[in-house]
Amino acid sequence: MGEHNGWLIWASYLAGLLLSVAPMPGFMEVGRPLWLAMFITYWILAVPQRVSMTVIWLLGLAMDVLYGVLLGQHALTLTLIAFLMLTLQQRVRMFPLWQQSLVLLVVFGLAQLVQLWLNALAGNRPPTLAFLLPALVSALLWPWVFTALRSLRLRFNVN
Amino acid sequence: MVRLLVLAVLAATLMVVDARFEVLKPVRSQLGLVLMPFYGLADLPVRLWDGINQQFSSRSELLAENEKLKAEALLMQRRLQKLATLTEQNVRLRELLNSAELVDEKVLVGELIGVDPNPFTHRILIDKGERDGVFLGQPVLDARGLMGQVVEVMPYTARVLLLTDTTHSIPVQVNRNGLRAIAVGTGNPERLELRHVADTADIKEGDLLVSSGMGQRFPAGYPVAVVNEVIHDSGQPFSIVRAVPTAALNRTRYMLLVFSDPRSPEQRASEAAQAQEAHDRELAEQAKSPAAVGTAPGAASAPAPSAPSRPAPAGAGGAR
Repeated sequence: MGEHNGWLIWASYLAGLLLSVAPMPGFMEVGRPLWLAMFITYWILAVPQRVSMTVIWLLGLAMDVLYGVLLGQHALTLTLIAFLMLTLQQRVRMFPLWQQSLVLLVVFGLAQLVQLWLNALAGNRPPTLAFLLPALVSALLWPWVFTALRSLRLRFNVN
Repeated sequence: MVRLLVLAVLAATLMVVDARFEVLKPVRSQLGLVLMPFYGLADLPVRLWDGINQQFSSRSELLAENEKLKAEALLMQRRLQKLATLTEQNVRLRELLNSAELVDEKVLVGELIGVDPNPFTHRILIDKGERDGVFLGQPVLDARGLMGQVVEVMPYTARVLLLTDTTHSIPVQVNRNGLRAIAVGTGNPERLELRHVADTADIKEGDLLVSSGMGQRFPAGYPVAVVNEVIHDSGQPFSIVRAVPTAALNRTRYMLLVFSDPRSPEQRASEAAQAQEAHDRELAEQAKSPAAVGTAPGAASAPAPSAPSRPAPAGAGGAR
């Protein structure tokens, strides 16, 4: 790990967990970006060999505990995102940033729909499709997240 | 691909087990112990800002606040004077009724440490948990009224479902005339709705709704909401009644956790009566056989078991 500077990846995961429970003004709460999913996506695009599905699954479990939903909900959606991005990774990493954003919108939107469906099954019915808003916000934020994480990765030489 | 399938199946299994059985509750509670500091950490900037603000808030502001608090204290003291006589009267009446129980419920002060990130649910996280005696279903209040109930207990934290969550309902009654109803959360932090209120029911704007104590979950008599809108629509089978919660659900930082006696008033009265009877019988027996001096220590210790049995219910409530 010392060779690859993998600690940065772990630090970003922790930051993602922290950001997903950070307090926000009420009206922005609906569109809270999927920080953890974005960070995971970046590392999959940049250093796919350093990202483990099992770790992502466990992170999802941590999210479930933090959010107080059924154990496995976020684990399932995060694994789904990771799988889709790992499959598309060869192509997506060549795309310009705005096209990456579009791919992210679709993938995250899909994950949010699964989340919505699971929530409805569990009995807490979120009333609207506003549930898709986080995917949109994440896609819009993606270029900045990507640039920031890339500069970090280059500085600490993560590979 | 195989890994995705394995993990997905594992996640699905976990969800089903978590939804249907109680097996995973301790696991979740222990994970919560590790993960809940995240909420504290995420809240740290806000706390720091508040702290700095307090440090540097101007003298005039402090003076004004001081004035206000003094005035409030005066008001409270006036009420307290009345309360003292009322309490005394209450105790005397209770003695007359032969029930030894005190009405005062034990409370614990909790502080808000996080708000559920999901905007479609109204849940909050507080800094008291299993180690403080918090239990599932425990009622939570603030200074102005009922806030909600505990739905998840972790070692040092607990999750509270607020009254206004769409999945929450509370039995209430109109303070003015005792009319019973069910107040259902709407997902709007400033609104509750009363279900199935007949069009002819005597309810109007400004009525105070208090908890009725039915359902055995919330203690009776705490303020819940104030009716602010009654709509009689002849096209609807029931009238539409909307109310504003009295508690500051999305503004309070400190709240009270109530440990109430789980027994019904009848049970309490009969148990108190039985204890009293047993005590009387013992006294009578002692009076009958005063000859043996050796029984004196026994006599001294005899009432002792009945004496600690009095505060026991509160302790039992706390230990659950």
